[in-house]
Amino acid sequence: MSRYLTSSKVGLLALISLYTESVVPSVATIPILSFLVSQILPINSMIPRSDVSLHSRDITVTLNDIQRATIDHISGIPGRSVWDLLLNKLWKINSFDALHVFFDTLSLLLQKTQEQLQNEPEDGLETDSNLNRMLLSRTSPLGAFVRRAQLEFTRLQFHDGLTLWKSFVVYRAPTLPQWRKRNQTAGNTSFDIILQQEQLGIADRLTEAVYRELGTEASQEVGNSTEDVEKLLEYQVDQMQRMGNRLPKAMKMKLLDMIESGVTVPSLSHYVSFLDSWKAGDYPSSFDKLHRYFDYTMHNRDRTFYQYALLNLAILHQDFGCYSEAVVAMQETISTARENNDMGCLNYSLSWLYHFGKAHPEQIHKVQEKGVLGTDREALAFLKAKAKETSMWTLLSTSLLSEAKLSLSNGDGAAQAFESILKASHLNVTRNVANAIGSQMSMQSSIYGRLGVSCQAWLYGELFLQCYASPSPVEDVVHCICKSAFLLSQKGRYEDAVARMEEVDEETLQTLRYSQYWKSSLGLMKFRRYLHCDNLTAADHVLAQLRAPLNLSQDLQFNISMLEVDLLTRRGDYSKAMEMLEHFATKLEDEEADIYQRVKLMTLKAQIYDASGTPQKGFSVALRAASLAHRARLLPALWEAVGRIGAILISLKEFSATTKLLESIMPQVLECEDCNLSAHTFSLLADAHVGMAGQAKAEGLQRKEQLTKALEHIERSFDEFSRIEDVRGQCEIMAKKATIMHLNGDPVLANDCAARYRDVTRATINQV
Amino acid sequence: MTTFTRANADHLRNTLQGAVVKCSERCLYQSAKWAAELSVSLPELPSAASSFGADTDSQMQDVDSLPISPAFNFANSDPEEARLETQELSRYLLAKSYFDCREYDRCSAVFIPSTLPKGPLSPTSPKNKSKTPTKTGQGEAKESDFIAGVESETHTNVLPKLSQKALFLALYSKYMSGEKRKNEESEMILGPADGGTTVNKELAGITRSLEGWFADREARGLSGSNQGWLEYLYGIVLAKGKTEEDARRWFVRSVHLYPFNWGAWLELSELLNNVEELQKIGPELPQNLMTLIFHLYASQELYQSTEPIHRELNELENIFPNSQFLKTQRALLYYHSKDFDEAEIIFSALLHADPHRIDSLDFYSNILYVMSARPKLAFLAQIATATDKFRPETCCVVGNYYALKSEHEKAVMYFRRALTLDRNFLSAWTLMGHEYVEMKNTHAAIESYRRAVDVNRKDYRAWYGLGQTYEVLEMHLYALFYYQRAASLRPYDPKMWQAVGSCYDKVDRPIQSIKAYKRALVAGSYYEQGSSFGSGTTAGDPTGVLDPETLYQIALMYEKLNRPDDAASYMGMTLAQEEGPENDDDDEGGGHGIGVTTTTSKARMWLARWEFGKGAYTRAMELANELCQDGVEVEEAKALIRDMRARMESGRSPS
Repeated sequence: MSRYLTSSKVGLLALISLYTESVVPSVATIPILSFLVSQILPINSMIPRSDVSLHSRDITVTLNDIQRATIDHISGIPGRSVWDLLLNKLWKINSFDALHVFFDTLSLLLQKTQEQLQNEPEDGLETDSNLNRMLLSRTSPLGAFVRRAQLEFTRLQFHDGLTLWKSFVVYRAPTLPQWRKRNQTAGNTSFDIILQQEQLGIADRLTEAVYRELGTEASQEVGNSTEDVEKLLEYQVDQMQRMGNRLPKAMKMKLLDMIESGVTVPSLSHYVSFLDSWKAGDYPSSFDKLHRYFDYTMHNRDRTFYQYALLNLAILHQDFGCYSEAVVAMQETISTARENNDMGCLNYSLSWLYHFGKAHPEQIHKVQEKGVLGTDREALAFLKAKAKETSMWTLLSTSLLSEAKLSLSNGDGAAQAFESILKASHLNVTRNVANAIGSQMSMQSSIYGRLGVSCQAWLYGELFLQCYASPSPVEDVVHCICKSAFLLSQKGRYEDAVARMEEVDEETLQTLRYSQYWKSSLGLMKFRRYLHCDNLTAADHVLAQLRAPLNLSQDLQFNISMLEVDLLTRRGDYSKAMEMLEHFATKLEDEEADIYQRVKLMTLKAQIYDASGTPQKGFSVALRAASLAHRARLLPALWEAVGRIGAILISLKEFSATTKLLESIMPQVLECEDCNLSAHTFSLLADAHVGMAGQAKAEGLQRKEQLTKALEHIERSFDEFSRIEDVRGQCEIMAKKATIMHLNGDPVLANDCAARYRDVTRATINQV
Repeated sequence: MTTFTRANADHLRNTLQGAVVKCSERCLYQSAKWAAELSVSLPELPSAASSFGADTDSQMQDVDSLPISPAFNFANSDPEEARLETQELSRYLLAKSYFDCREYDRCSAVFIPSTLPKGPLSPTSPKNKSKTPTKTGQGEAKESDFIAGVESETHTNVLPKLSQKALFLALYSKYMSGEKRKNEESEMILGPADGGTTVNKELAGITRSLEGWFADREARGLSGSNQGWLEYLYGIVLAKGKTEEDARRWFVRSVHLYPFNWGAWLELSELLNNVEELQKIGPELPQNLMTLIFHLYASQELYQSTEPIHRELNELENIFPNSQFLKTQRALLYYHSKDFDEAEIIFSALLHADPHRIDSLDFYSNILYVMSARPKLAFLAQIATATDKFRPETCCVVGNYYALKSEHEKAVMYFRRALTLDRNFLSAWTLMGHEYVEMKNTHAAIESYRRAVDVNRKDYRAWYGLGQTYEVLEMHLYALFYYQRAASLRPYDPKMWQAVGSCYDKVDRPIQSIKAYKRALVAGSYYEQGSSFGSGTTAGDPTGVLDPETLYQIALMYEKLNRPDDAASYMGMTLAQEEGPENDDDDEGGGHGIGVTTTTSKARMWLARWEFGKGAYTRAMELANELCQDGVEVEEAKALIRDMRARMESGRSPS
């Protein structure tokens, strides 16, 4: 494998020299120039323009590509297309010596340097003869390319030059028929003038000795230079690190082919394979490969990159759940980065450590004792200051978001969080931090979710997926999809939710972490659905599966536990449910847990008391939950807590107060678009109305009125329950309805209701 | 060999095949290759006889059964040797396989336990000991041992009783290991350790062992049954020690005993410094085919591309019609006589016949270099690289290509690589010197040339290059010496004599200078008659034309000597070259003049001034007008014309 030059580059050089000869008419200039530029410029600079050009582009240009780009353009010489002239140029390189001459004359394409001009002032005559030729500036992309190519050619050893020549012969060979059409004398051996002069055939012994590899398989592939492969690998690493996904299978095969064909394997390829196996969740081999990469890289980049090795190691450990090792490695990273004054690395590691502390508070204690980061707030302030100092905008933006998150989970109120988010958003826009926009939007979406404005939350999710999915890390995309699917499932649109989940593409799911997250989210949805359908055995199975993966994120684990409690309640195993709750609550007390989770726990506790027939026991808990939620502006949780309070009030026969309370929250509850919540609230409201009817005089108008209202609410509640397919809810509601009908003295309708009750239960049994 | 019959051919083939076996048994690979190539180049065998030759295998006994001419029939008919060889067969095979794996020390240790020879030759300073015993030992080797073995303790045989084959292999591998070590110690090419300081440390030991052995044989009256191989080795060792007279004698002895060892002939030819020595050694040599080949080769090496040599070559080619060796020799002869086209054709044909043959491709590349055939040279480099890119010849070809492209750094790199592969590769040294001259690195150039000359004192290019370099450094007396050496090697090359002439001029010895220039003229015309294909490749002396530059220089010399008439006559001759030889009444087949050149114009100017000085205004005017017509030095000519007009006017008006 050559270092830089390949036969395709010779083709490009020929086209460039043709371009400078002023035979390309002005019409064709732009297409040909843009073709050249698209091949010459580095890959990275191509990305923003369009993805299509990137996909259609191969790493090496075949002559076919060049032909396609040039054949339609009429050249300045009548009757010839640019392609004809190019063919002529290519076939004129008819010996190894001619290749040398070709490269030697490349310098004529360039403007002369000051020195050259000084050295040959009397060259006036010659420049006159070259008047038609346009000269490339030495610093233009084309000029730089030409210079680099020339330099690389002079650096070639003789036999490396020979390899280039042979691969060029192979590269050009397919155009022989076309060339023959234009030049009758061309024959089988016209690729080398010497063979023609000496009248040697293609099968001659001498020809065979010199061009012995030409016919064989090995020579068929157009060679890639080390530089090409390195570029490609860099692009892959960039993609993998930015997006966090794995190598696509097809690409993997291609890379393997390329690397196998060459002797010199760039050490970057080890890094690519490390990333790949890391993302695949293969701990031992990724560990091994990381070490291999750094061993191979050590000798040409010196120890200044040591901290990056440690950084990678720490992240690797964390990903595979070796938290203590990760912390140790990261501390080492931080101290090395401090030593080497590598601000970028230091800031990144600190921010990583902060996030790590958030995710695994129990691991971070030791570090905190040593005072590396101080408290969360201090840490964030420090990070923000550092990021601003070193103008690391991505870090600043993420720190701001973390701040918002911190203030949310501490229950400090939404305004502060909004402020931070807006700051981050401003930064993203003004500094063009495209890949942070995703996390900012999902943050925004979740804040709206907490405020109970579901449609806004949904909107932000959609916005993100529509506009910013491609430049953002895959992780954000997966999370966003899962979240919006969850919102859909809350509304009872299970099919839509599943369809949304399916939008995650398969390549992404090859990464272990994402696939776990995705599967757990899907499992949660199923779990919830089974619970609603009263299919408890199936729910059990799903639960077992959900418990399998070891290191799920805390959110998911919490959700799973909550649903488990729900399952237990539905089973009627209240004591166990309570036990679990208590256990969870103590755990949450220990750590500084998200306020949402605490509120949720409290309401759940109240709910269990309610279900076990001692609602008053849960009064203080419910009240505390409500006040906490109110303070933290956790509106859905607040409504839920208020619902619990309502239930307690009902049990205390405070019906009118309950109605007042519930009616006042009803609009906001509906805004939440959570069917479960609204169904329960409606049912409570109906209960309250029935209670009020009971307090009213029998056969009185008021009772009638209350009962009608109750019926109305029952209908709504039933609708909501049936939307989320909650069988128990439906049944309960139907039973209530039947009772009211009975009370109203309408046995037919009551019978109807009973029949519907039976229908619902039967349907579920059938389903099971 | 004038009557060469089929039977002779068969006999010769068998002998050569025997030689191949014997050489390869002794790990003399190049000689074996040479003999094998030669045996193949004999006219085709009738199929019946071929089975006979195929029987030969490595066993000596089988080789013996071949009919060998009685002159050297002693080979292993010697029962004593045969007995020893059968005895040590397994050890011999072991040693040979070690040698083939390049484990030289191990190989020699199979037969000669390391303690044994080291005893007498653990000298404190190996250098002077290696010299003194050889120098004193040679002359008296025979006499002293006849008289009394006691006289010098060095001559006792310390070697174990071995067959000559085993002994040769053991000592030869010792020699090889010494060479290998010497190479390793020399380190980088042209580095501090490279040069005369490192020596082959085994030489002393081998010399002593061999002396002892020869003395022992002599004493026991067995010297008649010596096989010639050990003599060859002794010759090599002596040649390395620069005792050439003795080395030559031992080589002659060796080829008498076994003439089909080409290596011995090669070494012998390297020891011949000029034709006289070749003629002198002639009668001492055996009278057989090999001597003929040797004579041809040696003459070629001494640049004798004369008719008789060509005739000799023709005769040999009758015997070996397909010999690539002989064809190469012919090409080289043409090359030496500057008939590049012909040489190129032969080399090209050789290449077509055997594309994988790299031997002497460096000469081919030199030819292409002189012909400025760049594409072809590139192609040649391609062929050579395809076969083996780590052969010194290949590196030379590539280096020549880069030299032709004026990429001197790269060229030097490849020449250095060639030298790293083989420090004794002559052409690389010379060519590297040329490149260093181009790069204006005179010190390196001088060292390179010096090394070339050390390797082979017959390389006139290196001598010439040395002269040139010293001329660049303006050290003309030095330069003169080297030019003289070059001229003595190539007495018929006008370039050499011109160089000598100009040097004499620089050191202010115009008479010698004139002589040298005249010699150059003679040499130039000699070549015209000598080569049958009047080639016009060398610039400035086309057919039948004397070199105007030389003539002009002679004229200037005469001017210096204050002999203006002679000067004028030579100037006239310079002018005459413009028209070509029809003025000279030469019947060289309608040669053309060289036309107007700067030299002739200068001569014309000189003449014009001279005539002017003499007062012959008409002639001067004529010449000046011609100058104006030719458009050279117009201004000066016009000034002269004006001056003359004025004088003529003034001369006329008073009269």
